[in-house]
Amino acid sequence: MSEVDELVSKILSQLNNGDSSQSTGTTTASSVTPTSSPANSGKTFDKGDYPLFRKHPDDVKTPTGKAVSDITLDNVVSGKVDSKDLRITANTLRRQGEIAASAGRPAIQRNFQRAAELTKIPDDKVLSFYNALRPFRSSKQDLLDIAKQLRDTYHAPVCANWFEEAAGNYEISKKLKGDN
Amino acid sequence: MKRQKRFEKLEKRPVHLDGFVKEWDDEGLVAMEGKNDPKPSVKVENGVVTELDGKKKADFDLIDKYIAEYGFNIDKAEEVMAMDSTKIAKMLVDPNVPRSEIVKLTTAMTPAKAEEVISKLNFGEMIMAVQKMRPRRTPATQCHITNTRDNPVEIAADAAEASLRGFPEQETTTAIARYAPLNAISIMVGSQTGRPGVITQCSVEESEELSLGMRGFTAYAETISVYGTDRVFTDGDDTPWSKGFLASCYASRGLKMRFTSGAGSEVMMGYTEGKSMLYLEARCIFITKGSGVQGLQNGGVSCIGIPGAVPSGLREVLGENLLCMMIDVECASGCDQAFSHSDIRRTERMIGQFIAGTDYISSGYAAEENRDNTFAGSNMDVLDYDDYCSMERDLSINGGIVPIHEEDAIKIRNKGAKAIQAVFDGLGLPKITDEEVEAATYGSNSDDMPKRDMVQDMKAAQDLMDRGTTISDVIKALYDHDFKDVAEAVLKLAQQKVCGDYLQTSAIFDGDWNCISAVNDTNDYMGPGTGYRLWEDKPQWDKIKDIPWAMDPQHMDF
Repeated sequence: MSEVDELVSKILSQLNNGDSSQSTGTTTASSVTPTSSPANSGKTFDKGDYPLFRKHPDDVKTPTGKAVSDITLDNVVSGKVDSKDLRITANTLRRQGEIAASAGRPAIQRNFQRAAELTKIPDDKVLSFYNALRPFRSSKQDLLDIAKQLRDTYHAPVCANWFEEAAGNYEISKKLKGDN
Repeated sequence: MKRQKRFEKLEKRPVHLDGFVKEWDDEGLVAMEGKNDPKPSVKVENGVVTELDGKKKADFDLIDKYIAEYGFNIDKAEEVMAMDSTKIAKMLVDPNVPRSEIVKLTTAMTPAKAEEVISKLNFGEMIMAVQKMRPRRTPATQCHITNTRDNPVEIAADAAEASLRGFPEQETTTAIARYAPLNAISIMVGSQTGRPGVITQCSVEESEELSLGMRGFTAYAETISVYGTDRVFTDGDDTPWSKGFLASCYASRGLKMRFTSGAGSEVMMGYTEGKSMLYLEARCIFITKGSGVQGLQNGGVSCIGIPGAVPSGLREVLGENLLCMMIDVECASGCDQAFSHSDIRRTERMIGQFIAGTDYISSGYAAEENRDNTFAGSNMDVLDYDDYCSMERDLSINGGIVPIHEEDAIKIRNKGAKAIQAVFDGLGLPKITDEEVEAATYGSNSDDMPKRDMVQDMKAAQDLMDRGTTISDVIKALYDHDFKDVAEAVLKLAQQKVCGDYLQTSAIFDGDWNCISAVNDTNDYMGPGTGYRLWEDKPQWDKIKDIPWAMDPQHMDF
C-alpha cells in the first residue's frame, strides 16, 4: 500500500498548494482558502515530530492560514478568529497520517487521507454522503453519482474510490435501495 | 422436597438475582471456541485474499470482504497463519518478547486465528498480556455524566467533580434526545472547569452526534457501533463502508473517535450465525483496525449480561479487550453497564482490567449515582468511589481515579455550576437560578435539584441549533461573565482540534494540554523494572495514598 499512500499524499499536497476555490456556497464551514505554506512540499513527518502542538506549532495552520498561536482568547472575543478557524486542515491531517504510519499504523494514515479530502467539503454535504452509504438508502447510480461529485467537484479521489467500491459491494450483497 | 436450610439461605444472596444460562452453540450462547466457529485459514493470490477462515471469496459477506480488503497485513498473513497458536499465546505472556514484535504477528492474522490465540490463555495470563499489550503506557479510566432529568447544572457540577477525581474522558447522553446540545455544552464546560484538558462526548444518534462535534460542542465520539454478523450490522443501520466513512468524517473535523462493539450484541439482536461471542467480536475488532480507527470500546459493554451468563464469559470479555490491544488499537475496556446484583461479582467484573491497567479501565464509570445513570446504570458509581480508591491504595494500582477532599469537591462543583449558569445567560438559554447552583453544589442526585421547565429547555436547545451557535459563542459567554480561565480551557480544546495530536492512538491530555498517546507514551512493559509502576509516578501515587479517611498515627489525640 505504500505506493498508493505516496501517490495520495502527493495529490493532496498538490491540491493544498494549488487550486483554492472549492467553494460550494452551501455552508461556510470549510470551503475556504487552503493554506499554501511552503512546508507542504517539504519533509515527511514522523513520530519524532509528535506532538505537533509542542514541536511544530508554527507549521500548524488554520484553514484561513492563521497560525495556531493566533487562536487566543482576545482574537476569539474580538472576532478576529471565528469558528471556521477552529478546524483542522488537510495538510495537518496528512502530517498526522505520516506520524501514524511511522508509528506502525498505516491504516490510520489511510483514514486520515480520506479525512483530509473531507476537510474541504461542507458539513451538511459530509453528513448527506455518510447517510447515503447507510444500507438501503441509495441506488447504485446514486452512489456512483456521489463518487463523481467527490472526484470532480471536491477533488477527493480516495473518497470517490470508497463510494465506487461500496456501490459494487452493495449490489452483490443486496444493500441498495429497494433490496430490503 | 424438604428444603435444606443452607441452600435456602444461599438462594437469598444477591448473586441469585443474576442471570446464568447453559451454553447453546447454535444460538451463539457460547463465549469462545464455539462448535460452529470456523477454523483459521487464509489464501492470498496475486495480492488478493481468496479464502478467509474457511470461506471462499465468492461466499464472502460484506464483513468478510471488508476484512479481506483492509483488516490485516496480507503480505505476512500466510506466514503468521502457519505459526502455532500456542506459541503466539506464549509470546503474549512472555515479558521478554517486546510488544512491537507481537504486533507484527497479530496484525497479520485472521479473526479465527486471533480467537484461537486468545483461547489458549487463562485469566491470569490474559492479565499479564494486557499489561504488556495496552497501547498507552499510563493507564486511565473514563466516566459517564448523566442524570434522569437532563439537568444541565447537575451535569456541569458532576463533570467538574469528575475532572478533579481524574477522569480524562467523560461521556454524556440524554434522557430526552432533544436535550443533546445542552448536555454536550454542560459536560464540556463543567469538565474544563474541573481540570483543563479533559475531553467530552455526547452519545446520541450517529448523524446528530457528528453534527454536535462539528459545532465544537464535543471533542470525541465512541458509540459508533460495529457488529460481527452482516444481518446485525445492517439492522444497526450501517455497513462497514458507511462506518469507515463516518470515521473519516470525524477525523476531518479534528475529532477523536473510537468504535464500539462487544460480546453478546449479536445474541441480543438475534443473528449470531451460530458463532461464538469471541469469534464475532474478533470480526468487529478487525473491522475497526481496517477502518483506520484508532480505538475501540469493547468488553461486553451494554450487552454484558449475555457473556456474563455463560461459562468462561468474563474470561472471554477480558480476552476480547486483549485482542483489541494486541492488534494495536486503543481499548476502552467496558466495565461499564450494570452487570451484577452481587458486590463480589461487580468487583470480579473489573478486576482483570483493573489489575492489568488498560487505556480506559472503565468506559463509563458512573460519575453520578446509578439511579441517575441514563446509560442504564454502571458497574460502579459515585457511591463506590471510596472502595475503588481504597483498592488502588491497597494494591498500588493506578485505576485512574484519585480521592478528593470534601471542601475541594464543594468548591469545584460550585464553580462548574456557576460557569454553566454564565454560559446559559450568555447564549440566551433559560435562566439557571442561584438556588440551582447551590443545589448542584451540595446535592448528590437529581432529586436534590429544583425542577426546571423542561419544555422551555428543549425549545431553547432547538433554537440554539437553528441559530448556528458554535463553540466560539460558548467561549465568548464565559469570557463576558468573568470565567476567563474556563474560557481559556475551552479555547485550548478548540486549538487542539486544529492540531490533531489527539487523533493518534490512545490519546488523552494532562492538565497542561500535553497530549499523551501511544505515540509518545508507548507501553514499554517487559517485566519487573519496566512499564508503568504507580509508585514511580510520584504525584499520582501521593494523591492515591492521601485518602482523607486514613488516620495519621503520628498526630492522634487520645
